[in-house]
Amino acid sequence: MSVATPTSPAPRAWLALLRRHETILLLVLVAEWLFFYWAGTSTNRRGVVVGFGTLDRQFDILRHTCEIGLLALALTPVILTAGIDLSVGSLLGLCAIVFGGLWRDVGLSIPLAMALTLTCGAAAGGLNAVLITALRLPPLIVTLGTFSLFRGLAEAITRGAVTYTDFPTGFLALGQERALGLPTQAWVFAFAAVAVWLLVHRTTLGRSFRAIGFSPEGARYAGLPVNRRLAFVYILAGFIAAVAAVIYTARLGQAKADAGLGYELFAITAVVLGGTSIFGGAGSVHGTLLGVAAIAVLKNGLASLPIVIRLNAAEELSGVLTGALLLVALTASVIPRIVSRLRPRPAPPVSVP
Amino acid sequence: MAPPLLELRQLAKSFGGARALRGVDFDLQAGEVHALLGENGAGKSTLIKIVTGAHQPDRGTIRVAGELVDHLTPATAHARGIACIYQQPALFPDLTVMENIALRLEAGAPFARVDWKGRRSRAVELLRRIGAEISPDAEVRSLSMPEQQLVEIACALGAGARIVIMDEPTASLTQKEQHLLFAVVRELRRSGVGVIYISHRLEEIFALADRVTVLRDGETVGTNPIAAINEAALIRMMVGREMTQIYPPSEAAPTEVALELRSLGCAEAGVTDVSFQVRAGEVFGLAGLVGAGRTELARILFGLTPADAGEIRLHGQVIHPRSAVEAVAAGIAYVPEDRRRHGVVLELPIAHNMTLAVQRRLFPRGWLRTEAEQSLALEFIRDLAIKCTGPDAPAGSLSGGNQQKVSLARWLATKPRLLILDEPTQGVDVGAKGEIHRIIRRLARSGLPVLLISSDLPEILGMSDRIGVMRAGRLVGVLPGGSDAHAVMAAALGQEQGAA
Repeated sequence: MSVATPTSPAPRAWLALLRRHETILLLVLVAEWLFFYWAGTSTNRRGVVVGFGTLDRQFDILRHTCEIGLLALALTPVILTAGIDLSVGSLLGLCAIVFGGLWRDVGLSIPLAMALTLTCGAAAGGLNAVLITALRLPPLIVTLGTFSLFRGLAEAITRGAVTYTDFPTGFLALGQERALGLPTQAWVFAFAAVAVWLLVHRTTLGRSFRAIGFSPEGARYAGLPVNRRLAFVYILAGFIAAVAAVIYTARLGQAKADAGLGYELFAITAVVLGGTSIFGGAGSVHGTLLGVAAIAVLKNGLASLPIVIRLNAAEELSGVLTGALLLVALTASVIPRIVSRLRPRPAPPVSVP
Repeated sequence: MAPPLLELRQLAKSFGGARALRGVDFDLQAGEVHALLGENGAGKSTLIKIVTGAHQPDRGTIRVAGELVDHLTPATAHARGIACIYQQPALFPDLTVMENIALRLEAGAPFARVDWKGRRSRAVELLRRIGAEISPDAEVRSLSMPEQQLVEIACALGAGARIVIMDEPTASLTQKEQHLLFAVVRELRRSGVGVIYISHRLEEIFALADRVTVLRDGETVGTNPIAAINEAALIRMMVGREMTQIYPPSEAAPTEVALELRSLGCAEAGVTDVSFQVRAGEVFGLAGLVGAGRTELARILFGLTPADAGEIRLHGQVIHPRSAVEAVAAGIAYVPEDRRRHGVVLELPIAHNMTLAVQRRLFPRGWLRTEAEQSLALEFIRDLAIKCTGPDAPAGSLSGGNQQKVSLARWLATKPRLLILDEPTQGVDVGAKGEIHRIIRRLARSGLPVLLISSDLPEILGMSDRIGVMRAGRLVGVLPGGSDAHAVMAAALGQEQGAA
């Protein structure tokens, strides 16, 4: 379980902590960061430090990561219940358009447009929830459907051509300025991370997600309201996707129908990299955060390596390495099982020919 | 005289602490239908699994056609002509009959050409041999259950089976379908095949079998030619005379009626018109054969398959639970039969398992309180003597008996007003079984009404203050506690009283 209890003797506890997925991932992240700090930082002709090692670059990484990070937070409870939500990226796009439209075309104030956008996100999540719980359709299929539906709606509203721009500077500060020394949206992300962490690790709701993920029938026989709990995680995912949409719009200063295209896959990758089992039950929010960070640092660090800049291959390489990182992490988690299987066992008795 | 097709001597097998077989003797002649009879848990399934090579016996010998076999695997059992027809045939529903037969019988060379003509003629021949009128081109999905069983039998014959085991083949068949199956069994007998026939239905055994062997508590009670025995004697052999275990005495001083069912029914669950009362502090046993509707009744009470007829009164109050959530809110606790799938969540720690049904009361604001949870878990671990490394050990790491206690603790923590126990000691070793019995007594003494479902007849007789017997979804009788086993078994089997 992800919440360790200090009952085992100290040396064994240390060993257990060291073998935990999250610890290994943290070490990988630190190594990654140090490597890029060493290889990706340089001094230009005017004697100014540029590249990965600058504070500006670090903040830049943070800004670019918040939206995918939010989606990964949204997906963690979903995947803990052994579900999946492929529609969050499309919903980000739809919510961005809804937000832009409410502000510019309908003429609502920014706060009101925001509030309605968040409601819209929750409602879209509610659609997933109804299809999954009331009609008992598999989450993969339902959200594959809404994945197309939400993106299609966004394109229909804008006819694929309209881009909402010229948002007021006060709103753009959310995505482009700093507050209390950090990028503004980092505070939103931090708040969401703490909230989801508490939800998953400290409440009875989080406990039920795990029970449902491990054994939906077992949870039902324990008298847990399985459908209500499932509905909750999908509605929450929709809501958080809408938050991500608002931040996305503020960061880029524009809302387009293709906002968040493919983000759901990055988010799922981060969750799984963070040690949450795709089969449900096991996993943690801090693991997800580490997974998000590992991917973000890898992506942006590569872009600051001189050789990569010369070859202009940052996108390609980051795709390859993110994939490799995920596969290595997944393989590492099954190695103990394989090793124990390879251990010599007493030979089976010889059977009669 | 030729050696018997199959000869088993002093076969023994234990699972953990539970002794499934203690010394079984059995033989099967060519051209014979030999019925195997016994209560649930008498060891029939284990015996079949040993003969088909799925389990290895701890002791004893197996001879097939006179030849000593000292290690039977599913493959060698198959090669020696042993085949088993299960209740639910394991065929590929989307393939045709012909293809299914071919898959069983053809050694697959990866790139060999398919000999469709040969396949067809073999299928036609095998189906003709058992007198089945099934088209070889029919998709298995479109066949009825007995037709699928016939295809299984055809496969067995095609593989040269000399010993055919049929495990409750008629359990889900209609009257007409049964007659079709019986004709095939007689046909097999005529062709010199030995048939081991397992069934709970005595009338079938008398209609079909040449000899009958009764198992009880993992031992052979006796083998008799069918002509030399009657139903009453068979029942007597099945239930035995003396109790094999000491049960804690009942101290029930039942007071007011706690649970009352009035003509309760549910079409979906196959339960019809069940009425009885359970008093506070009373253990009400529910006896019956597997499939008699006892678990289904429990599922109705627990809201998993809501009732569509009749009334449930709990402490005078009419309730109609439509989900487990509502049943729990009404104070009903259900310790289910399938411990590993329903009783506990194997991957969750013991402590989490125990608080799953009391989350609302223990954590009223939704925040987990680790100290409260740990102390509740420690209390139950001590109280029920659960053997574990601590409250954080996953439930799956425990033995069956201790898992059962965790499941029980989860429901005791809810301070229930009705406790339903479904096969509470199934697959539990003898020591834990006794402990669970003492716990049940203690709970009843504290005034809790207990509904005890068990297929273990001595357990029902030893633990219950009164015994309801179910058959085919109906309550067919309520007997006083201390009734003798014959009466209960006769009611469960649908035999008239007075024969014994």
